[in-house]
Amino acid sequence: MESLFEQSSLFLQQLVNGITLGGVYALIAVGYTMVYGVIQLINFAHGEIYMLGAFLAYTMVTVLGLPFFAAFALTLVICAVFGILLDLIAYRPLRNAPRLAALITAIGMSIFLQNLALMIWGSQIKSYPREVLPPVFSKAAWTFGEVSLSWLQVFILSVTVVFMILLHLIIHKTRIGTAMRAVSQDKTTSALMGIGVNRVISFTFAIGSAMGGMAGILVGLYYNAIFPTMGYIAGIKAFAAAVLGGIGSVPGAMLGGGVLGIAEVIGAGYISSEYRDGISYAVMIAVILFKPSGLIGRQIGEKV
Amino acid sequence: MKKILGILCVLVMLSTSAWAESKPIRIPVAAAFTGQLASFGEGIQNGALLKGEEINARGGINGQKVKIVLEDELCDPKEAATVATKLANDPRVSVLVGHLCSSATLAALPIYRDAHLPAISPASTNVSIGKMSPYYFRNVYRDDFQGLFLAKYAHHIKGYEKVAIFHEVNDYSMGLMLAFTKQAKKLGIRILGTEAYTADTTDFKPQLTKFKMMKPDAIFIPGYAPQGTLIVSQARSVGMRNVDFFGADGLDDDLMLKNPDAEGLFVTTPFLPDKAGPQAAGFIKAYEAKYGKVPNWFAANTYDAVGLAAQAIGAVGQDRVKIRDYLASLNSKEKAYEGVAGKTYFDENGDCLKDAFVKKIKDGKWVGAEKQLR
Repeated sequence: MESLFEQSSLFLQQLVNGITLGGVYALIAVGYTMVYGVIQLINFAHGEIYMLGAFLAYTMVTVLGLPFFAAFALTLVICAVFGILLDLIAYRPLRNAPRLAALITAIGMSIFLQNLALMIWGSQIKSYPREVLPPVFSKAAWTFGEVSLSWLQVFILSVTVVFMILLHLIIHKTRIGTAMRAVSQDKTTSALMGIGVNRVISFTFAIGSAMGGMAGILVGLYYNAIFPTMGYIAGIKAFAAAVLGGIGSVPGAMLGGGVLGIAEVIGAGYISSEYRDGISYAVMIAVILFKPSGLIGRQIGEKV
Repeated sequence: MKKILGILCVLVMLSTSAWAESKPIRIPVAAAFTGQLASFGEGIQNGALLKGEEINARGGINGQKVKIVLEDELCDPKEAATVATKLANDPRVSVLVGHLCSSATLAALPIYRDAHLPAISPASTNVSIGKMSPYYFRNVYRDDFQGLFLAKYAHHIKGYEKVAIFHEVNDYSMGLMLAFTKQAKKLGIRILGTEAYTADTTDFKPQLTKFKMMKPDAIFIPGYAPQGTLIVSQARSVGMRNVDFFGADGLDDDLMLKNPDAEGLFVTTPFLPDKAGPQAAGFIKAYEAKYGKVPNWFAANTYDAVGLAAQAIGAVGQDRVKIRDYLASLNSKEKAYEGVAGKTYFDENGDCLKDAFVKKIKDGKWVGAEKQLR
């Protein structure tokens, strides 16, 4: 049968695949968790921002003929603007309404954006033609026996890590980050202390959506498949990752994404590929059962 | 007063009967015209509309015009059941052409059976369809034949010894996988592994990584093109360079041609324009003139299915049960319907036996394989 060496290199390769997928989930999950942190809203339209990110970059590269990295940067900016608009149009008018109203609006926005994409780009899967991408992406960066890491995977992982560090610095070292943390603790008191709460919320949406859009571009590249419903499944998975890590906690979202990605790939590779989604959700349910606040979520006492 | 009423009655009767005569015969065609598999539906739509036009140009069926009504069900079993219920309850419908995907056909089939509505599928190849309803017919071969054929081709022509199978979780794909596996084992091909995916999957790398370690000669993908093209690309990107890929009629889609990684991939198909007999020449010419491209097998089989439905209506009128009996009576080579994709005649299950061909991608185009299995 297969040797131990082959077995372990198979495992290593699956781990690399899992970490790449996990990084992408983490990028989307961060957007969920940040928005939840400041306004306690599960932004179900976040998955659609991710989908729009993928389509925008694809359109810029293939139709407008922009170089890939220019399209990448431009897409982040546009997605940030989309995030602000989403909040402005759909959520701000309901800021003081019951939470359920905003949640339903979020689902409505998700359906609206999905169908908008269906109208603009059609239902068929879009793929990048090979010529338009930097040729280095398809080359192997590192090969050891049967294990290989492509430059695209290196790119995805490094972009994920860099932006996570950047995000950490913004939240902990800048004035706006301090304001975000203050708003997430107590909106009313923050407003009394002179913090522009709406400005902080807009900023949160902008950052979260830019990260979501970026995840969309990366996934579009990695699997080379872009379609209007891609945001739905990815959104649910990332939501699960955010809950798994502890919703409202940014490091939790990163950790949750990583765990979910690895569980999914290892599950598909070793247990059963038919039940890969089931396996990743089972991991989430198991964590929530034993630790309801998530892996590193904070315990919130019942407010009286 | 009574007189006026009487005249009115006569007028109404006259007008309705005149209206009934000019009313066209509706032949619904149910398939996926939007959604992921819309490109399959395109061939079905083109083939059906072309046949409809030709029938009308020759004066219709016994003087009555034909109207092809397209019913979109996205290859989704739930949508197919909705469409089937609508058609079954429509008294204007006496026979229909459909459905495209086996899962959709299996969902619609009990509804047609209970309404005694005969249906002719041009494309559903799952094995169990025929036995489940006396009202279902198809002018396409079954997956057990297709799977068996592919295993023979892989062994005798290609000389593969080790094959891995990557199938979708649906009736079509699993039926093919089982038929192929059974015959392959008989011929001594080693099946290294069988993995599955669902229709909404875009990440195939975990399973492909597993396959890569097994070093197969070829990977059999008995699925549909939207996923097939991704599987081929992702297999290349995880480092499978010298592995062949092959599939069944589900991969027979121009979508595959856009993918440079799919060069050399081969598939079975019920219809090959360059190997078709003289009966297809007129069809191919008319199709190219109207649509500017070569007809694929979906177009050819649907063209024939609509012709078959029209012939049945012409022979026995718009009566559901009589049409079923007529179709069932075409049960030998002599009584067969002469279509562009060969002769169609049914066994006791409403299934038919037809030739399969192999075509492959060469320089970004579908071409008939040099070696066919006869």
